[in-house]
Amino acid sequence: MKRGEKMGTLRRLGSVLGAGALVLGTLTVTVAATATAGAASNFKACVVTDTGGINDKSFNASAYQGLLNAAKADPSIKPSYLSSTSSSDYAPNISTFEKKGCGIIITVGFLMDAATAAAANADPSQKFAIVDDAPAAKKSHEVLALQYNTNQGAFLGGYFAAATSKSKIVATYGGADIPPVTIYMDGFVAGVRYYDKLNHATVKVLGYTPPKVCTLTNCAGKGTFVGNFTDQTAGKTIAAGDFSNGADIVFPVAGSVGLGSIAAAQQAGTGHFVVWVDSDSCATKALDAAQCKYIDGTVYKGVTPSVEAAVLSAAKGTFTGGTYLGNLKNNGTGFAYDTTNASAALKAKITSIAKGIEAGTISVNPNSYPVG
Amino acid sequence: MTENMADVLAQADPGSPVERRSLWTRFSSKSPVVLALLALVLGFLIGALVIIFSTNTVLDAWRGIFSSWGAPGHALKVTFDNVGAAYRAMFTGSVFDPSQFWHSIATGKQWDNTLTPLSETLTYATPLIIASIAVGIAFQTGIFNIGANGQAIMGGIAGASIGSMINMPAIVHIPLTLAAGIVGGMVAGSIPGFLKAYTGAHEVIVTLMLNYVIAFFLVFVLLSTPFQLPGQSNDISRTMHSSAQLAPLFGAASGLRVSYGIFIAAAVVYFAWWFLERSSLGFDFRITGNNPNAARASGINARRVIVVVFLISGGLAGLAGVVQVSSTTHYVDGNFLIGSAGIGFTAITVALLGRNRPMGIVWGSLLFAALGVGGRNMQAATGIPLDLATIIQSVVVLFVATPVLVKEIFRLRSSSAQGIQLATKGWGS
Repeated sequence: MKRGEKMGTLRRLGSVLGAGALVLGTLTVTVAATATAGAASNFKACVVTDTGGINDKSFNASAYQGLLNAAKADPSIKPSYLSSTSSSDYAPNISTFEKKGCGIIITVGFLMDAATAAAANADPSQKFAIVDDAPAAKKSHEVLALQYNTNQGAFLGGYFAAATSKSKIVATYGGADIPPVTIYMDGFVAGVRYYDKLNHATVKVLGYTPPKVCTLTNCAGKGTFVGNFTDQTAGKTIAAGDFSNGADIVFPVAGSVGLGSIAAAQQAGTGHFVVWVDSDSCATKALDAAQCKYIDGTVYKGVTPSVEAAVLSAAKGTFTGGTYLGNLKNNGTGFAYDTTNASAALKAKITSIAKGIEAGTISVNPNSYPVG
Repeated sequence: MTENMADVLAQADPGSPVERRSLWTRFSSKSPVVLALLALVLGFLIGALVIIFSTNTVLDAWRGIFSSWGAPGHALKVTFDNVGAAYRAMFTGSVFDPSQFWHSIATGKQWDNTLTPLSETLTYATPLIIASIAVGIAFQTGIFNIGANGQAIMGGIAGASIGSMINMPAIVHIPLTLAAGIVGGMVAGSIPGFLKAYTGAHEVIVTLMLNYVIAFFLVFVLLSTPFQLPGQSNDISRTMHSSAQLAPLFGAASGLRVSYGIFIAAAVVYFAWWFLERSSLGFDFRITGNNPNAARASGINARRVIVVVFLISGGLAGLAGVVQVSSTTHYVDGNFLIGSAGIGFTAITVALLGRNRPMGIVWGSLLFAALGVGGRNMQAATGIPLDLATIIQSVVVLFVATPVLVKEIFRLRSSSAQGIQLATKGWGS
């Protein structure tokens, strides 16, 4: 009895020591491994995402893709990212990257405005780029605001929708009543009204009434808003309602909520379409073929190329703070065709409209055109 | 350390021989501390497996082990390099970085960088300790307060409102803000308390469902006029005045975020210990938790116990919420304590890990906070997603909840069988 107990003790000792040795082994190897790393003169570029994370197939994913593209173009760039689980993570995530010696920190989304401004003011030499926002960091000249005049791209989308709609009724809705969303809807309505003016048509737009003025910081149009960017059921209900009211094309400006509208188009059947938003997910295969059958075009926001350009310039040392304004000219926004619904003549017309917007001869303010 | 009731009971039991326990027998026994530590070891081992199977360079090295004589050794080295780098980053990001530490010692500079990891861990642990004590006190009474998260949100809303909409000197403002948080949590806690006491509604269902109600109430509040930040259309509250904020312990200029909140957490821990071990009401609570029938037979008013425990638990959870707001963001927004940021849910696992005892909860909270904070540093340094920290946390809790499994894996002797049972007593009974 006593003897058996002793053996048991020894065996226990063995297993506990074994586990301990494993852990210790890991630790010692580590110390040796990290001592050699970190000597190279790499340029660290870092993205802090919002709560969507890098796999949201939209906004955060596009920003991270821009970072990866930059790293591919310039092998000395070492990319890394941190996702925020809540808004209380913004500040510590940014400061973690500051301590890691990131040459540029990209923050994604206007919700990170305050955290980015505070960090930039506290360390004026740290380079920042923030997507879709212009923070008021007075003490720092190293903050680049990446903003996009998406009403220009949406204008083309609106023209396209009005031209291809059979019922001559189109619809739009937004995820939240915030300027980065409403500016899309504003441009869409303007494009439809421009079509009306040129062709003496009366295409109706459901879901948005433009305000007098619409800018990147103030665009208080009235319309249909879901209240978030995740509720796909709401996206389905709204689009199904639009279809039953006679619309045959819906333009959801609501991130993944729009997936619900694709489902509604699939249910309504042939002849019902969605104009997709933000990133051309059919071209990148983020959406599958069954979904893309019902997406006839995408109004995109050039988050990826602008982030890529910001990172590359920071790595080269040519980075300057200020504002980058994405427009049709620099491919910061635009319209991409996902089906063959557009005739060659229509495509040519849209190209010439784009030229007109670039030149400033065509206004993207919906109030410039009579209501159709 | 806490007094282990079961050990006392075991020694008082005339059937068990009284023996002096050496350090080794203590260590090789199934004492709760040893079990928790072994669970941690298992957590790190399983975490290492996850790293191995999700890191392409490691997998590639193992795929090629038959290509040359040196390949297996190389594969082992790559494995240890990757796993080691991950865990090292976790440690240096949450406790301290030796090289940074020696740099500070040698030059006397950059002490802020040296202390940041500890400061961050304490910042995360502070509200977690308070929330876990809230859950732990309820569990000790046999009450499952799954709604601590909702109660913490209510506390955060109440505290942020008082903190942002009134102007007064800090000496009055801070206590008033904290009190508002406690009251907010109490209001949320009293609903399931009264429902259970007077209608017999099961508190698990009520508290769990109230979390959803409160999450939507949060959105409603943040979008209504007096609370919403003026000039904003998204769901965000006004910012608390500096007189209502829990200031950083070493001043805002230090860059260290650890705040005076840790003193509040310490006071809560002392209160919980005193309440459960020294007060007569706390004694009633524990008797009710251990044996409700005996409690009723000895004249303890069960209704009063249920209502009071929900008020205390809800109030503490609310305090956790307001401490979280006033020591970190200073505002509440739509994802405040929502999803994986919900400390009220983490608190349930921490209370289990700490066996519902105040000091156990302190260690459990520190561990969970260190894993979370270290996980961020690990992701920044090695690219391994910080979800790995969540995996380790979950595995630790899984093993702590199944002591028999740990006992079998490490072949521990059973020196105090009751001690083991107590770890999970009340969970699901």
